[in-house]
Amino acid sequence: MALRVLGLNLIKNNINLLQNACRINATSTTQAPYCNQVTVHAAPAAVQKQKVSKAMKAYLERARENDEFMKTQDLDFQIGKRHLANMMGADPETFTQQDIDDAISYLFPSGLFDKRARPAMKSPDEVFPARKAAEFDETGRPFHSMFYTGKPNFFQLLHDIVEETNKLYDLEERMLRRGNKPDENQKIEMAGFQMLPKDQLEVKLVETIADIEYSNFVSSMERLIASPFSYKSKNFIERYLKPLIDQSKQLEVPKPKIDEQGRQYITTYECLRKTARADVTVRMPGTGKININGKDISYFDVEQCREQLLFPLQFSGLLGKVDVEANVAGGGSSGQSGAIRWGIAMSLRSFVDQEMIESMRLAGLLTRDYRRRERKKFGQEGARRKYTWKKR
Amino acid sequence: MKMFRKHVGSISRISTQLQRGPPTVGSIAGLSTEAEAAPKQERVDEKITEFRTAITNPGGHSPLQIAKFYTIPAEEKKRIFGGGGLPKQYELQIKTFTEACLMVRSPALELLQYIKQADLSKPVVRYVLYGENGVGKSLTMAHVLHYGALHDFLLVHVPWAPNWMKRPKETANATGQEGFIDLPFDAAAWLVHFKTQNAQLLQKLQLKTSKDYVWSKRESTPTGSLLTELVEHGIARIKYASETIAAVISELKQLSTAGQCKVMVAIDGFNAFFHPETRIFSDNKQRVTPDRITLTQPFLNITNYDWTNGVCILSVDKIAMTEGYMESYMPRYLLGKDGFEHLDPFVPVHVDNYTDKEFTNYISYYVDRFWITKTAPDLEDQLKFMSNKNPYTLMQLVRGL
Repeated sequence: MALRVLGLNLIKNNINLLQNACRINATSTTQAPYCNQVTVHAAPAAVQKQKVSKAMKAYLERARENDEFMKTQDLDFQIGKRHLANMMGADPETFTQQDIDDAISYLFPSGLFDKRARPAMKSPDEVFPARKAAEFDETGRPFHSMFYTGKPNFFQLLHDIVEETNKLYDLEERMLRRGNKPDENQKIEMAGFQMLPKDQLEVKLVETIADIEYSNFVSSMERLIASPFSYKSKNFIERYLKPLIDQSKQLEVPKPKIDEQGRQYITTYECLRKTARADVTVRMPGTGKININGKDISYFDVEQCREQLLFPLQFSGLLGKVDVEANVAGGGSSGQSGAIRWGIAMSLRSFVDQEMIESMRLAGLLTRDYRRRERKKFGQEGARRKYTWKKR
Repeated sequence: MKMFRKHVGSISRISTQLQRGPPTVGSIAGLSTEAEAAPKQERVDEKITEFRTAITNPGGHSPLQIAKFYTIPAEEKKRIFGGGGLPKQYELQIKTFTEACLMVRSPALELLQYIKQADLSKPVVRYVLYGENGVGKSLTMAHVLHYGALHDFLLVHVPWAPNWMKRPKETANATGQEGFIDLPFDAAAWLVHFKTQNAQLLQKLQLKTSKDYVWSKRESTPTGSLLTELVEHGIARIKYASETIAAVISELKQLSTAGQCKVMVAIDGFNAFFHPETRIFSDNKQRVTPDRITLTQPFLNITNYDWTNGVCILSVDKIAMTEGYMESYMPRYLLGKDGFEHLDPFVPVHVDNYTDKEFTNYISYYVDRFWITKTAPDLEDQLKFMSNKNPYTLMQLVRGL
């Protein structure tokens, strides 16, 4: 059991086991097609009789120890889980990882900011990183043909990409000869997707790769995707793409609702800037009325704050064509005006075309401003400013 | 402003071109007097009627002229507003544009209509102008004051009463009344202002004092001497200026009640007389209340309704107060209980922000004076949004650096 709460540093006892372990997250490795299982492939009988190499012997020893260690850890984890389930008055058989997490956060409430620093109880498979399996047999002969490149998995991947690309080239040639054209509808959409980042690729490959190697990977992938028939090897490509969930979600523009006067309106809740919170309703068609907490634009005395409200309206060309109502609380005037500005911009998306939304995004109108007040530091006059230096 | 300029990128000032500016003051004035003007000049007139009117006499203004500019002739402006009466910023704008233009707005017209229709044989009616900061209360008053000056009213005009409470030139203990504070320089300055405003009319009317005024052993103003002499004495002997004001005002009340003259009282920032405290310190280092200032009494006296043949135009203003007393612009709040009871009953006149038409005309006026150039097509909308159609805010937005 790997219950970190008890401060039991089991890893310390098995430090030699972990020395050549890759620093990776075990969750993703379970799906990885690369050989990272600790079990050794059975060698042919003829080889068995031969003398086992020293490296292999040391490796086998380590593998056995690791196996044992993981077994005891797993046992401990199962026992701990049952205890926890009993403590919480739940059925140990159906006690899931989610239940464990809930129980731990209930029993050991923690105010630590970093989630990884908080107490946790997880399966040893998750806690102890996976290790690369033996890459050679008892005689010391590597399994992988690219073993001597040092990064067999990575170069295998490059090899596979090139193979796929060549296959597509052949296909293209054949299709061209037959006069067939690639299907435009099936074309791979890269919008909303991103190439697998370097760190995630490393986890997937169980190998560390250099920057230049990563850029090689990216360029060969791009070449593959650029091929007109790339949809034929969609499955392969998608393994190395990562969807951009947040942005695609933001791209969804809400449909305006209709109020009792028959006008379209959109309310954006939770418009935040600094410590100000606002909700903004934009009504179309309107006459350019502004209502902020029951007052008009004179709610803001400062010119700059009024400009903040002006900008999205003027930029989208809807100045004087929509009515704006805002409820804002907290923060100062600049925070409040910033919050309302964001709310107006977000609401206006429903009333403008896609092109305008894009240019609004580029103008930074749809981006949340996450900047906050920087704290004062001791020994300093403010956040950055130092006290006047005096020799003595 | 800098940011706004960046946004719009359009406002520019061309002060050098003002010398050759459009229709000069003289030509407009000429048009109004000469009915049989040449056709050529009429065409000019037509052109300027878009946002200007040639009627320079406020008496001739009607709702037709609403939202149009009229020009105050230079000499009249110097006579009436020489000692103050136009806000400082507006004065600056007048200087830049080399013409004193006022917009005809509905509160002023409303007020003028009341004054024209008033029965002067009845006790004076008090009109109280009120409104938000910078909506044009003072300029409305200036418009009416111009009317008064042209229609044989003796003007009793205080350009900005809070000046006496907030930044007096000099303070002294009053000689006549124990525990009172005198503001000799301010009083003398007011007398000078009174004299310049009314010099012509006083000359014509030849008003006489009704009783002896003994200032000291050697100085006195006997019965039957001219009011001008009384004023001159006050200016010459600054020590007695405050008492002179009291004398002049009580004389004016008597004279107008007797029907010898008409009096127009115009006090801007009237609520300063009822402010809980002033910035003046007495001998024992205590803040003095406004009622302990000798200047207060005559002006409260003349705003009473116990006399006839006159009008009182007063304005109440938030900025006449000090911090902590500026929550609302309503007369009851600003005047307080005493002030409200002092004025009750009065006619409130609300001054509001520009209407759309007024705003458009103001922008075209600025464009006409080459003060702004309309490079952005929606400049007007932007300015409207930014200023909320508030006159002062608009002036600030397009001001020079």
